[in-house]
Amino acid sequence: MTDLVLTTFLKMAFILAVIIGLVPVLIWAERKGSAFIQDRTGPNRAGIAGIRLAGLIHPIADVLKLLFKEDVRPAGVHRVLYALAPFLVFFVSLLTYAVIPFGDYLEVGGRRIPLVVADLDVGILYVLAIASLGTYGIVMGGWASNNKYTFLGAVRSTSQMISYEISMGLALMGLLLVSQSLRLTDVVAGQGVLLWGFLPRWGVVIQPLGAILFMTAAFAETNRNPFDLPEGESELVSGYHLEYSSMKFALFFMAEYTNLVVASALIATLYFGGWNLPWLPRAVIEARAGVLLPLLLSAHVAICALAAALYLRRASRERGRFGDGRDREPGLMAGVCVLLGQAGIAALALRPWEIGPAGASLLATALQVGAFVGKVVFFCWFFIWVRWTLPRFRYDQLMHLGWKVMLPLALANLVVTAVVAAFV
Amino acid sequence: METFLFYLCGGLMLGAAAMTVASRSAVAAAVWLVFSFVCAAGVFALLAAPFLAILQILIYAGAIMVLFLFVIMMLQGPVLPAEVAGRTVGRKALLALPAAAIAVILISWAARGREASFGATPVTGTAAAVAELLLNRYLLAFELISIVLLVAIVGAMSLGRNEEGQP
Repeated sequence: MTDLVLTTFLKMAFILAVIIGLVPVLIWAERKGSAFIQDRTGPNRAGIAGIRLAGLIHPIADVLKLLFKEDVRPAGVHRVLYALAPFLVFFVSLLTYAVIPFGDYLEVGGRRIPLVVADLDVGILYVLAIASLGTYGIVMGGWASNNKYTFLGAVRSTSQMISYEISMGLALMGLLLVSQSLRLTDVVAGQGVLLWGFLPRWGVVIQPLGAILFMTAAFAETNRNPFDLPEGESELVSGYHLEYSSMKFALFFMAEYTNLVVASALIATLYFGGWNLPWLPRAVIEARAGVLLPLLLSAHVAICALAAALYLRRASRERGRFGDGRDREPGLMAGVCVLLGQAGIAALALRPWEIGPAGASLLATALQVGAFVGKVVFFCWFFIWVRWTLPRFRYDQLMHLGWKVMLPLALANLVVTAVVAAFV
Repeated sequence: METFLFYLCGGLMLGAAAMTVASRSAVAAAVWLVFSFVCAAGVFALLAAPFLAILQILIYAGAIMVLFLFVIMMLQGPVLPAEVAGRTVGRKALLALPAAAIAVILISWAARGREASFGATPVTGTAAAVAELLLNRYLLAFELISIVLLVAIVGAMSLGRNEEGQP
């Protein structure tokens, strides 16, 4: 019992650390990515003693600024709901992670700890239920602010979420018919095999239309461009969080990015194999651990050496360019890369090719968790990519797409899947 | 532990339901009702019916109440409502009477059947068990209800049309 409580808390702490750690990185990626897409430089000013890390210091400066800003409460707001809304938005966005498996299991001292916080019997329904609750924070915030623009943002958000939830649920049903289970761990485990001997049996392979519909609905549910009408800067100033300032605004802002991570994790889990590495099942990793680990370590050393060389070249080229602390940055980064490479070499000296079964199991778990995190990060980037590529929908186009295009397609997908599942 | 959680969820649910009735603002009442639904879902989960608990949140809290809030906000607009004034004590008493009568009936009914209470029943409310009941044993009733609902939807739509036949 105490073991269960302890491991559950450790898993929760791990998930929370990854998400909270990803949020500033995602904000940085959004700004830098938009700059890359629009052929700009992007954030590169904030730095600590000249260390700027290509703008990665900016999120830290943002957080400090938001923490120390005055918390303004406009006149005429509904006090309780106004204060409750940002917390609710952030809280609900974190709840979904409870059922997402981020790895197979971790073997410690002969016992297997499943790497999911709550392996619910009704996992997918839980995801849908929590997603449907997400609209409350936005609605309450928009209404309680007592402002026309926030109110319109809230109304838009509600109608949008209701419209796209249906397509999302129907698209998921097709996947459920294939996976024959509501449990997310079963859904992921079912994607670990190969189809016709060469194709990973991922959700996107057997349910391509469902995957596209689910991803589109996920964009709408997270209020991301091209579905960010609830914010709509051009007509609603900034939508439902217009009247919020300081950390209350920051919570809305963070919730947007945690929602992004949730949506990416769901897409990866349901349609892209979750923690499964394609063509590399757990048994193979454990059997070949003595080859894989030295290979990985060598790759790490090679990448570190390359990065150090690039930084050193930049250091010699840009010597004395700024005339202040910024000149030190390339040299320092080269030093960090050399240190990381040294760590890799030290690990290679420990004879990793003689790794035992316990170590092999750990390696397999680490690789699977790494695969899952990698997929999540890719889909986060995908969301950013789409946001800075597509323009925003008009409201009638949004409703047309949701009700007249996606709903019939999702229904057709469900019917075809059901017929195939019944007769094959 | 489970008994404690049951009484916690049940108490919060009743309190939230009371606040739903007592709130003067329609939006606040709706939010209290959502909270009450979530607590009801907690009670279902404690009664070994996870499927029902999730559906309670998904359908009642997540879909129906969102629509309710949407309609309330559309009708009320962003301006916060003034307090509803002018309710006399006599009218309040008149409204409280049937409520008290229903409460008395329910409590006496619950007190009599206390022996056959929860916890002892071995039935589990998993998705598979509910599906077995709905789609096998009560299939006819289930399908008939869905037809009734379909008729109701068509009726509501035809009633909601205006004179020119525009939707």
